[in-house]
Amino acid sequence: MIRYPWPAGVASAAFVSVHFDAEAFDLKSTTEDRLFGRFSYGRYGVRAGLPRLLALLERREIAATWFVTASDAERHADALRMIRDAGHEIASRGVDLAPLPTLGDKERDTILRGRDVLAKITGTAPKGFRAPEGELSSQTLRHLAEAGFTYDSTFQDDDAPYVFAPAAGAKLVEIPTVHALNDALPLSARHTHARVMKIWREEFDALHREGCLVPLTIHLRGDVGLTRAARIAALEKVLEHMAAQPGVRFMTGEAIAAHALAANLPVEGDPVAPHQPTLAVTPYRGDLSVKPI
Amino acid sequence: MRTTLPPDIRCAVTLGVDFDGTSHEVGRGIAPIGGHSWGRYSARRGIPRQMEALKRLGVPCTFFVPGYDAERHPELVREIDAAGFEVAAHGYLHEAWDVPKDEETALLRRTDDILKDILGKPVLGWRSPSGRKTANTMHVLKSLGYIYDSSDKDYDLPYRLRFGKGEDDWIVELPNNTYSLDDFPFFKFSYTPPSEVLAQWKEEFDAIYASDRFCVLVVHPRSGWGSGTPVRTQIFAEAIAYMQSHPGVQFFDSAGFARWCLDHSQHLEELNVTDRRAA
Repeated sequence: MIRYPWPAGVASAAFVSVHFDAEAFDLKSTTEDRLFGRFSYGRYGVRAGLPRLLALLERREIAATWFVTASDAERHADALRMIRDAGHEIASRGVDLAPLPTLGDKERDTILRGRDVLAKITGTAPKGFRAPEGELSSQTLRHLAEAGFTYDSTFQDDDAPYVFAPAAGAKLVEIPTVHALNDALPLSARHTHARVMKIWREEFDALHREGCLVPLTIHLRGDVGLTRAARIAALEKVLEHMAAQPGVRFMTGEAIAAHALAANLPVEGDPVAPHQPTLAVTPYRGDLSVKPI
Repeated sequence: MRTTLPPDIRCAVTLGVDFDGTSHEVGRGIAPIGGHSWGRYSARRGIPRQMEALKRLGVPCTFFVPGYDAERHPELVREIDAAGFEVAAHGYLHEAWDVPKDEETALLRRTDDILKDILGKPVLGWRSPSGRKTANTMHVLKSLGYIYDSSDKDYDLPYRLRFGKGEDDWIVELPNNTYSLDDFPFFKFSYTPPSEVLAQWKEEFDAIYASDRFCVLVVHPRSGWGSGTPVRTQIFAEAIAYMQSHPGVQFFDSAGFARWCLDHSQHLEELNVTDRRAA
């Protein structure tokens, strides 16, 4: 059992996040003029998956957090407003899915543009951010805090939210995720959705029992996402099981972050600084991890 | 001669937790943030959760700790030791261990010094980070006073690994298997549901209990491909409880079992690698 000051009556908080990742994802592998055939799974997510997922969340009365790139937002502004009107939170995933550390001195402007495009379409500036491929630079947290974001949700290092102070006087909540509850990884390895949902149920039962955050990551796409009819049905069974456990509350990232800020959690130092001297003399030897998308 | 455990040891089990904190990423030149932050989970949540489970079950365990992680979490390393668990060495920055021979001594000594300094006592064992080692490694380990290595994958039983012609030029080898009696292959590569991983470990144990009677199970406390998270620590604990339910199973920490091997070295097969000295 972990100690975390969840709101009264809450044993564990379920955080349903959706990666919109439509054409922005396909465009990592191809060009605008070739978004057909195998490069149209992103379009499936918007055309076929979105109504199905929205209907499921409405049936289960769950408000989710949708992480959207500015490029997808501009392509699908009406869809974004529909998601907003259904009571969900819209959060940022940058401009396209280029990893932030590759942007150099353009990183700050990219974060600002990601924020501003969503604000213009939905009427509200996003509060939350999740980095493409899970890649942050040493400056990202500071940029986010300075751009008015209240939380990041990219780390994988804890069972509950915590708070960074990336700039003087600024606080940024971290809402950590877990690989095991990201649909895209096992689906990209071509596991059945039944197997993926088996993993989710087992992971959830233990997280709930220990009073942890339960961060689900759902992709909208037709390939590595959960929005095909059979997958939505499988997902619904898991969500139903979760909701049936006493003390489970579904919370958006924004609500989780607001609660964390009000809880006066201890503030953590810069997560890079202690490692900087070693990193400065250690050559890059390649990344062995399997990437979240 | 083949190693045979005497009848009074019905089955020996050694459990290992390979700490693998931020050293894993930092050692590859990657800042341990965002999606690369799962090593932070080890000290924050994984080690405390796994220690609690091990204490509840009352079994010994060896924590193989990279020197870099020990430097960042000396209190936690002392807690592991104070709880009665063994602390052993696991590289400095979780190296891939493609080290030139003339640097190997300094590299092994660096972590040895860090751990000895924190613990106030000698370190007795080593497990290679990445599972690589050289023909020279055993010489260095022995010169540092280590009594065992637990990195080779070539056998189901402990043995004497002879690396030189001198009478004492051998070390106890406690071989492990990172394809089946480990957590990361299932959580990193095959995305196996935890209940199926548990079933696999139980089958492994059943077969071992019925044959060679020596079981080495290894987990990692990190998030991502490790087992520090709730359900994965739970199956680690369930696997241990399953072993405990079998008559005559004895749990050792790796140093404890290596000492038993030293005291009964006449029961141990010898593998002579003297001719495979590094150039």
